[in-house]
Amino acid sequence: MRDLAERALDTATAGGATYADCRVVARAVQVIVVKNGTVAQIALSEDEGIGIRVVAGGSWGFAGTDRLDGPSIDAAVQRALRIARASARVSSRPVTLAPVEPVTGEYRTPVQEDPFAVPLDRKVDLLLRADQAMARVPQVIVRECSLEFVRERRYFASSEGARVDQTFVESGGGLDATATSADEVQTRSHPNSFGRHQLCAGWEAIVEMDLDGQAERIAGEAAALLTAEQCPSGVMTVILDGTQAALQVHESCGHPTELDRVLGAEAAFAGTSFLTPDLLGSFRYGSEQVTMTADATRAGGLGTFGWDDEGVPAQRTVLVDHGIFNDYMSSRETAAELGRQSNGTMRGDGWSRIPLIRMTNVNLEPGDSSLEEMIAGTEYGVFLETNRSWSIDDRRLNFQFGTQNGWLIEKGRRTKLVRNALYSGITPEFWNSCDAVAGPGEWRLWGVVNCGKGEPGQVMHVGHGAAPCRFRDVRVEAS
Amino acid sequence: MALRDATSILALADEVLRRVPGGSDAEVVIDETDSALTRYALNAIHQNVAETGVRLRLRLIRDGRVGVAELRGEAEDIADRLVRAAEDARRLSPAQENVAPLPDPAIARAEEAKPAAWSDGTAEATPEQRADAVAVVAGAAAAKGLEAFGAYETRAQQIAVVNTRGVRRHARSTVARMTAVVRGDDGAGYADRCAADVGAVDPRAVAAESVDTALRNQGAQVVEPGDYEVVLAPYAVAEMIEYLSWLGFGALARQEERSFMRPGERLMSQGVTLRDDGSDPLGLPFPFDWEGVTAQPVTFVEDGVCRDFVYDTPAAMVDGVRTTGHALPLPNTSGPVATHLVMEPGDRTPEELIAAVRNGLYVTRFWYVREVHPLRTVITGMTREGTFRIENGRVTTPVRDLRFTQSIVGALDTVQGISRDRRLEIPDEGSATLAPWLHIGRFHFSS
Repeated sequence: MRDLAERALDTATAGGATYADCRVVARAVQVIVVKNGTVAQIALSEDEGIGIRVVAGGSWGFAGTDRLDGPSIDAAVQRALRIARASARVSSRPVTLAPVEPVTGEYRTPVQEDPFAVPLDRKVDLLLRADQAMARVPQVIVRECSLEFVRERRYFASSEGARVDQTFVESGGGLDATATSADEVQTRSHPNSFGRHQLCAGWEAIVEMDLDGQAERIAGEAAALLTAEQCPSGVMTVILDGTQAALQVHESCGHPTELDRVLGAEAAFAGTSFLTPDLLGSFRYGSEQVTMTADATRAGGLGTFGWDDEGVPAQRTVLVDHGIFNDYMSSRETAAELGRQSNGTMRGDGWSRIPLIRMTNVNLEPGDSSLEEMIAGTEYGVFLETNRSWSIDDRRLNFQFGTQNGWLIEKGRRTKLVRNALYSGITPEFWNSCDAVAGPGEWRLWGVVNCGKGEPGQVMHVGHGAAPCRFRDVRVEAS
Repeated sequence: MALRDATSILALADEVLRRVPGGSDAEVVIDETDSALTRYALNAIHQNVAETGVRLRLRLIRDGRVGVAELRGEAEDIADRLVRAAEDARRLSPAQENVAPLPDPAIARAEEAKPAAWSDGTAEATPEQRADAVAVVAGAAAAKGLEAFGAYETRAQQIAVVNTRGVRRHARSTVARMTAVVRGDDGAGYADRCAADVGAVDPRAVAAESVDTALRNQGAQVVEPGDYEVVLAPYAVAEMIEYLSWLGFGALARQEERSFMRPGERLMSQGVTLRDDGSDPLGLPFPFDWEGVTAQPVTFVEDGVCRDFVYDTPAAMVDGVRTTGHALPLPNTSGPVATHLVMEPGDRTPEELIAAVRNGLYVTRFWYVREVHPLRTVITGMTREGTFRIENGRVTTPVRDLRFTQSIVGALDTVQGISRDRRLEIPDEGSATLAPWLHIGRFHFSS
């Protein structure tokens, strides 16, 4: 990897690049899926290539290739240089990067048990046991269980002298039970929706998920939802479980605090942000209970690393401080526009895509309440669990989310199951209505594995720490 | 960078199959792509990228055990490593009954298929060409005091599918797509154009439409949410029918009882006909699916009445029918999908559709559409970059973007008119949708 990177940088510099960096990325993925009692998929994939990013003529160019011989790397560098010079034809100003101290170092995800060393039959047995447990519920007609393991080595080198060698290990798993009747389809998932929950960790993360132990419970809940009452409509108190709170944070705090969006880089696709720079330090984003951080240093998260893909060290940034909008996630280029230093959130999807500002672990910091206390303090409302649908506008203001499970709360007690719950709102109004966040005992780090951004599209794995939290006067309805 | 020639791609597939252990059924899929994308914001190029790569996938079946491996790159030992990895996966898989077989060459006949959409011009497009096209849009926006954002992508791809039963397919395709969001102080406009041939993507047309919409869409006023009569532009229609397809046009969705489709029943308005046709020359023709099977035209909805589903081999085996050639890479849990959606045209112009609306809304495009209830085909999303009031048959003032929460089938059951003209939209790599303008009688905006 090192030789390939040095050759790419030398070629770029000799070709006139005023700045160059490259990432050599080797990724191995193992996927195991059991569906309705049979092993639907056992797949192993490997992917290795190099991506070279250059500034020439004051503009950016990038080329990626999986041909890892010297002449092919030279050709990719020449392509990146030509692209950069073409960019300069339609340029407003030369690229400026905030300074960073070039670093040399290594980072490895701490792992108790290497998931790739766990025998495949043990993994298949676990999923088959979970499948059989779900099969005990006759209304469930689609049962799907999966595991995914990722090992990725990422070597970053820049013309400024940075040399960073990192190896990440991810372990993920999940269950979905889908029950149907003549006029209804309901799915329950464990531990999270979107197919699985994932962490930067080893096999120990899978053990903790207790997939086979929870399978019959979620199958039963899917069946119960078929005949549950529709969620009531109206303005009421809403309590979110940790998984739904995590997605709420992702969509309504994570994305709008990406500084590239704020500055217009994503305006044609992912959109912009209502959190404009004039609001920094003064805008009341949420209530006093709401503190949110982007923390790439927290162990176990999918956004945990040693350095980002510009060689900037991992750090913890307070995005919202007791309700006040405090900071963005930034890159070297965007930070320079605000006269700041990068806080290290540039991440690229493999070798073939440029790094973009991506969430690391964007967390709702724990409060001092508990789910039990929140329910007890609610006269009328709903407790909503596990995301089912999500949509938010291109400035990240107007949102509508749906959840798999809903529980009616009456006079401080959870009374009955309700289905097809939707809640909606406007981001700052919603977070300002937050009057309680559960404490560290109920706070957990979740993994989101389907965060899309950029053109061509990139999918990033990001982390979110969250605990159950309560919101007053929220609009609720049923689909 | 040029794609390799078909002979060397097929030879690579043969090399893999030669290494497969005796007695195995095996399928090799090779997918090589060379793509470039120039992205612009604030009237200047800010990201400009290219990538080239080849992906090899091997599906191995023996003794009721299936293993899959996928590798990228061109290392000398790649064929050996691929076979080893797939065999490892296969050996460790539990034996199963009713494993879907590889397709037979009798249903993967190359002679039935029309050629894929290909343009040398697109395959050879340069970064200078893309930059010059961006300059046209940025210049047009700047001339009106506006800011342009968007992307211009050119892509060449070739796919080979070869299996031990005699299937041997190869095709190459191209696509070019330019998008533009043009923004003023208080509103924006959108346009895109897609084609196989880069020469058919006219940046002046993209500029003219997005600038015109942006200029008309300044100072939008709030309108109350509720039910409205609407005219949807093809950008919005394409997204809506793509969701409908995902929710219910695949045979697996019906087998798992999550499809809204009820064959033989009329669920939508007369005149609503939805098909999949991988050979339609107005789309992006491609001759076969990821099993190498020739894609057959399939009609999902005919004049409002539900008809058929798309199949891959596993779903076809369950129903005792033949695959229609709509497989994704197998095995998978999503089932077959329609990748060349066509909505049949009507007999009106967009202006005539608008003229028929006394009090309603014109919607240019949707954003962040997600399913809310699959069986009821309820989706939610926002309008974006060009929502206008229609009053007495004329588009009048711009309105603030609205959230909709609406059943797609419900909307398509109130269709009052369909345009003759259609646009080609590309939702994802490998997919294409031909969509008209639609006049819909009732559409629900929730906030």
